[in-house]
Amino acid sequence: MTAGLTLDTVTVRARGRTLLDGVSLHVAPGEFVAIVGPNGAGKTTLLRVALGLMRPDAGHARVEGHDVAGLTPRERAARLAWLPQRLETAEPITALEQVVAARYRFSESRRASEAAAQRALTEVGAQDFASRPVTELSGGERQRVAMAGLLAQETPWVLLDEPANFLDPAQQMELYTRMGQLWRSGRGLLCVTHDVNVLTHVRIPGTRAPRVVGLAQGRVMFDVGYDAPELGEHLGALFRVRMHSTSVDGHRVFVGLPRDGGAR
Amino acid sequence: MRFWGLVVLCALACAVAPFMGPGLSADSADFIFWQLRVPRTLMAMLVGGTLSLVGAVYQSLFANPLAAPSTVGTTAGATLGALVAIVLGIRLAPDGMPLITAAAFVGALGVSFVVAAIAAGRRVRMNDVVLAGIACSMAAGALASGLQFSADSAELMAATRWAMGHLPQVGYSGVLLLTPFALVTVVGLLALTRALEVFIAGEEHAESQGVPVRRVRTVAIGLGALGVAACVAWCGPIAFVELIVPHIVRRTLGVSRRVLLPGSVVVGAAFLAWCDASTRVFLPVRELPVGVVTAALGAPLLVYLLARGRP
Repeated sequence: MTAGLTLDTVTVRARGRTLLDGVSLHVAPGEFVAIVGPNGAGKTTLLRVALGLMRPDAGHARVEGHDVAGLTPRERAARLAWLPQRLETAEPITALEQVVAARYRFSESRRASEAAAQRALTEVGAQDFASRPVTELSGGERQRVAMAGLLAQETPWVLLDEPANFLDPAQQMELYTRMGQLWRSGRGLLCVTHDVNVLTHVRIPGTRAPRVVGLAQGRVMFDVGYDAPELGEHLGALFRVRMHSTSVDGHRVFVGLPRDGGAR
Repeated sequence: MRFWGLVVLCALACAVAPFMGPGLSADSADFIFWQLRVPRTLMAMLVGGTLSLVGAVYQSLFANPLAAPSTVGTTAGATLGALVAIVLGIRLAPDGMPLITAAAFVGALGVSFVVAAIAAGRRVRMNDVVLAGIACSMAAGALASGLQFSADSAELMAATRWAMGHLPQVGYSGVLLLTPFALVTVVGLLALTRALEVFIAGEEHAESQGVPVRRVRTVAIGLGALGVAACVAWCGPIAFVELIVPHIVRRTLGVSRRVLLPGSVVVGAAFLAWCDASTRVFLPVRELPVGVVTAALGAPLLVYLLARGRP
């Protein structure tokens, strides 16, 4: 029995295409791992396998030693919380109701669920729009409510799929700062993104760095710390650009440049 | 609270319903009131409440505002069953509802359980279930058309009448027969409220939050089919109730499943009781099928609510 979240030579095929090709990955408890890669690299598929929403054609996904495919939805929900690429709530339910849904896994009274949801909303600074319909909230407000849902589910693992899509730069920064708080609260995070720069906001400069795993064509291309000198080179190869790395106010920043030196 | 206000209002509406209609002469008043109108009102309440709840549940489950029992083939199955009974002539002992009823019930359950079985599949998505429902409905409809083609005109007339949807004069025995089905459906579906709340953000997300999605949708479709089959078997496919009532409730009480589902039961019961009573008012002598009234009253009401915009 191993602690942690583990993918063990996971292969997924769909319609003749190999989406994941023997991917192995271990995320230790309390670790932050970012999965980066170009579109179509298999990032979302990887998350779905880890969540038990998709069964791999070969290999296993394990959480705390259990094969996720063998766990009931409730058992999975006690371990893994998920923020999908688009959390679609077409119905005008209130923010509070949306967060209450995250308490489904608990056997508790409605009142207890609402109290826990209210606490989670307060924690992300969303208490003021608890009773507003989520359909009327801005993108940033919605994302805060979604974060509150992740908190309310009280899982040791949080899996996020491109959470900063559709957010402006300020909102992105706020979101990743909050994810850093989640991380420092002891949770393990697995986050899919194609923008590696936002990762700098998950840590207080100078503290431990998140891990960055590069995925292309369903394979792990590299697996290094955010501070590793070779990360820029890896990212350049991954996205087929020249990746220049620099430092601003203690934040490591990557800038992509055309491979042929800019001549067109 | 708004919800309880609506409950009281609907209860009053149901209580008034049997008094509606042409005045009763002294000698037959007791009989007509207690033996005809009261059981019919009860029947209307059972059918209206069940159909509306199933509509609300299906709309939540399929995340589709047009989902209805007909979406999963229940209505088409019932029609096919009834037609088989009518055309094969196993009908009509003089007050011969029961055989048509039984056949419609079997047909409704048969077709919708095919759809429920598909919904139980591991790789199946909700959209696939809707498509399967449509396909099964069309298959049942084709068979029914074939039967109608080979039917004589008396049989066709009977089938057409049945398909309009009407509340039969079945007295308390019909009410007693329908009650257990309605009760199982209503109680069972209301017990799924918590899971259906989580469904709002999509079934995969619901599963990630701990909802056993396949079990919930199979149970919901199965229970819904059971209740609707029992109602449709007695009354024919009463148009629109299951579609209109949940939308009325959404626009008056809101979309929260905790008020939408019980609200649909209550409003559905009152709605159909009044539609039925109004058939006595509009055409006292020759009774209008209640399915005509539900569509004629309900559709403009829904359009009005839509035009007024969101609550």
